[in-house]
Amino acid sequence: MRIGLVCPYQWDVPGGVQYHVRDLADTLRGLGHHVEILTPALHEENLPAEHVTWAGRANAVPYNGSMASWQFGPVSATRVRRWLRDGHFDVVHVHEPAPPSVSLLVCMLARGPIVATFHAAAIRSLFLSAWGPVVRPWLERIAGRIAVSDFARRLQVEHLGGDAVVIPNGVHVHAFAEGPVLPGYQRGSSTPTVGFLGRYDEPRKGLPVLLEAMRTVVRECPGARLLVAGRGDPDELRALLGPDLEPAVTLLGELSEPDKAAFLRSVDVYCAPNLMGESFGIVLVEAMAAGAPVVAADLDAFARVLEDGDAGVLVRRGDASALARVLVDLLASPARRAELTAAGHRRAADFDWATLAQQVLAVYETVAPPGGGEVTAADDDPPDVEPAETPAADRFLPRWLRRGPGA
Amino acid sequence: MAPTSWTLLVAGVLLVLLLVWVTFTLTRLRRLESRVTRAWDVLDVALARRADLLAAVGRERSAELGPDRGAALTGAVEVSRRPPGGDREAAENALGRVLRELPGSLRGPELDDAGWRVGLARRFYNDAVRDTRALRRRPLARVLRLPGRRPLPRFFDIDDGLDAVVGAGRSEGR
Repeated sequence: MRIGLVCPYQWDVPGGVQYHVRDLADTLRGLGHHVEILTPALHEENLPAEHVTWAGRANAVPYNGSMASWQFGPVSATRVRRWLRDGHFDVVHVHEPAPPSVSLLVCMLARGPIVATFHAAAIRSLFLSAWGPVVRPWLERIAGRIAVSDFARRLQVEHLGGDAVVIPNGVHVHAFAEGPVLPGYQRGSSTPTVGFLGRYDEPRKGLPVLLEAMRTVVRECPGARLLVAGRGDPDELRALLGPDLEPAVTLLGELSEPDKAAFLRSVDVYCAPNLMGESFGIVLVEAMAAGAPVVAADLDAFARVLEDGDAGVLVRRGDASALARVLVDLLASPARRAELTAAGHRRAADFDWATLAQQVLAVYETVAPPGGGEVTAADDDPPDVEPAETPAADRFLPRWLRRGPGA
Repeated sequence: MAPTSWTLLVAGVLLVLLLVWVTFTLTRLRRLESRVTRAWDVLDVALARRADLLAAVGRERSAELGPDRGAALTGAVEVSRRPPGGDREAAENALGRVLRELPGSLRGPELDDAGWRVGLARRFYNDAVRDTRALRRRPLARVLRLPGRRPLPRFFDIDDGLDAVVGAGRSEGR
């Protein structure tokens, strides 16, 4: 299939949607499909040389605690039109099409099968409830909608009035499963390690709960260590530790992608003590892929990823003593850890890009059955795929009026 | 200008705006109609494929199925191809039930895939129907009878055994 992917966020700025598009494109290419990407970027020269087209520069707008991108206008429209015309796509797949971005432009200009993936996962959004009706005429051209999580689907149902199938974010399982470990940390050593990953100065990530639990753990399992990876203020964290924990906690700082995988392969237990606000928990999947037994707070999203405790241990959120009990038991029982590792491997396979790309392809095939004709741009005169009968008023009105804002 | 000219001007502007809106809405309706048609065609094909695969199981694995289950399966396939009284939903539901009750050894990956694609196609079809109905229910569209005499598209509601979460949730069903 010839597939056009549209990423509305700057390609050269790190972000979940960008990685998602990149990984999906790589996987689809591996399956023998032709994939082109259209994306804005800060600098055109930061884009890969082939199969990625620059859509100009997007303006970042702070929105809902993160950055939304805003890109609209005749110059961008021309680029979109050219890309659509040159691509001869069987299907166009836009990401996050609701905000005024290059994704929405594609919805406005493309004629043919459009698939959209919704990533945002706020439960309530003032912007969307006001903006939804405005963009509705263009979003209703989307033939197949995908949401990356139940929360994203709910947002979509509530504000944009449509259903979506859930196909989660993926992980390249083999990239986590095989590779080196962090030097000096071997899984299964006599000084077992518990891993934590995330911005540790954000209270909702729940590191204080884990620290509280670790006090018990180091008492009961002498030699146990906690590895903390991620951004934050180290001095602030040290102040929290106190003399009993100080020797047992190692700060690794922010890790690169390969180092993150090595870190997850090194720890004996991965712990996600988050208190709230995780919409998916991709890091749990990464940890399972890397073979780390997972202990996580019982947030809805985590419970879903861990299959209600079959693929990892769920602990009541914020309950340090329960967490300590679970960690002590796990660190003392290699057999139980091996069991969890096996269950985690099985579960991680469900989120492997190879599996998910097949599901995305099934969506493409559902909206663009063979012989359905390719995607064209609005100003081309498309081969007439629309039904032959047109409403009377359409024939009666002059051409310029017939085009209207939506034509 | 005299008051009448003003009235005429305002009426003219309103008329133009109304015409633009009508054209816009007619275009949207036409596009939605073809989306509904396309989605229905795909759903129809997906349902037919599922029935064909089940019929093949009934033919080729009749020994493992046993006479009772075999007869139920063949009967359900027949009914789904020619639903009595045109009630396709009930017929497809019955077929889906037979599919779910099949022992795992008889349910090859192809059959699982067919079932999943029915779920996808049904969701996208209902989505298209929902968008169409929402636009046609708009008061001005109703007053002006923009859709003409076309029948309102109907939802296709069957229990395809998928809850909202497909994707990674599929593993539970396997």
